[in-house]
Amino acid sequence: MSTEKLEQLMKGLTDNQTSHGVSLSVEMFDADDKVACIKLEDREEFPIYMTADEGQILCISYLFGDEQVDPDKRAAMVEAMLMMNVSIPLSAFSKIGDQYIMFGALSPKASIDELLHEIELLSDNVLEAIEAVSDYLKEAA
Amino acid sequence: MGIFNKLLTAVRGGATEVGEAIVDSQAIRILEQEIRDSKKALHDAKTGLTSIMAEKMGVDRKVKDLGEKIKEHEGYAIQAMDKGDENLALEIANKIAEFEHELSIQQGIRDGYDTKVVSLKKMIRQSERNIQAMDREVSVVKTTAKVQKANDLASAKFSGSNSSLNSATDSLERIKARQQKREDQAAAAMELHADENGDDLQAKLKNAGIVDSGSSGSSILDRLKKQKEQS
Repeated sequence: MSTEKLEQLMKGLTDNQTSHGVSLSVEMFDADDKVACIKLEDREEFPIYMTADEGQILCISYLFGDEQVDPDKRAAMVEAMLMMNVSIPLSAFSKIGDQYIMFGALSPKASIDELLHEIELLSDNVLEAIEAVSDYLKEAA
Repeated sequence: MGIFNKLLTAVRGGATEVGEAIVDSQAIRILEQEIRDSKKALHDAKTGLTSIMAEKMGVDRKVKDLGEKIKEHEGYAIQAMDKGDENLALEIANKIAEFEHELSIQQGIRDGYDTKVVSLKKMIRQSERNIQAMDREVSVVKTTAKVQKANDLASAKFSGSNSSLNSATDSLERIKARQQKREDQAAAAMELHADENGDDLQAKLKNAGIVDSGSSGSSILDRLKKQKEQS
């Protein structure tokens, strides 16, 4: 898998953000596993992690861990997420380890414009999603 | 076991252990072993495909040769018949029958190779996809542990509080508050801008004598007088 492709995408994002009307910072998060970290202005709490290989460009945002979910409402939340999945534009819920995530995948041939659109939308979706499932989460400490 | 099942086993194994332990999880190690095995199988399949394709080329040549020989001997048989040599024609026809028999055998072998090539190619594509999926899974899970740490650090930085107390809803509230503040600032700036522009315009109008430079007692008295006359 090429770091080159990822670096090329990172440069594309940095160069084209203003023409797209977004403000974001892009940095290499983990050069070993080839992961870039994208932070949208004012939304730094929910960064988007991007990887690219010959199969797809993957953008992931981490929502919350299992420990934040109200144990009694867990099944209902998971079902709600499953049902929401289809209606959410371009993004979907998933889970990695004990972390609930939201992700979007693009063809490796996607343009930078499409990638920027994906990232903006994913970020919007993440905020909407947390709002939507907040009833299932434990009361903030 | 299908690839989805393997992945599910891996993520289930990962999910039972918490945080950093995901990386050391037995399931991920199994998946990594699986990737190594698949890569070896893929390599073997590709080697197999190469040799089968080479063998198939040999058979292709035989089929072509036999076809040509049959045509050639058909020509001879016709010539022999033209000369009225029935015996020779029959001998040639027997030879043609031998060739045709051999041709059908070789064609059968070639068809077998064709099927094998198609299925090997399909298998190779499938294992390539599986390896990609497993690679992705391993790298995603490995990244998660690092991301979690980074996320905790990030939210601690933005909230100024202990990372363990941070929740997604708190983060969302902070983001909303920041957005609201930004919108308020933008609105205030717009208002200020409008005011400044308005002031500017008033001043220009006054200077140009289009607008009174301010009401005076006498101007008000004049206005009132006019009103009284009209009533």
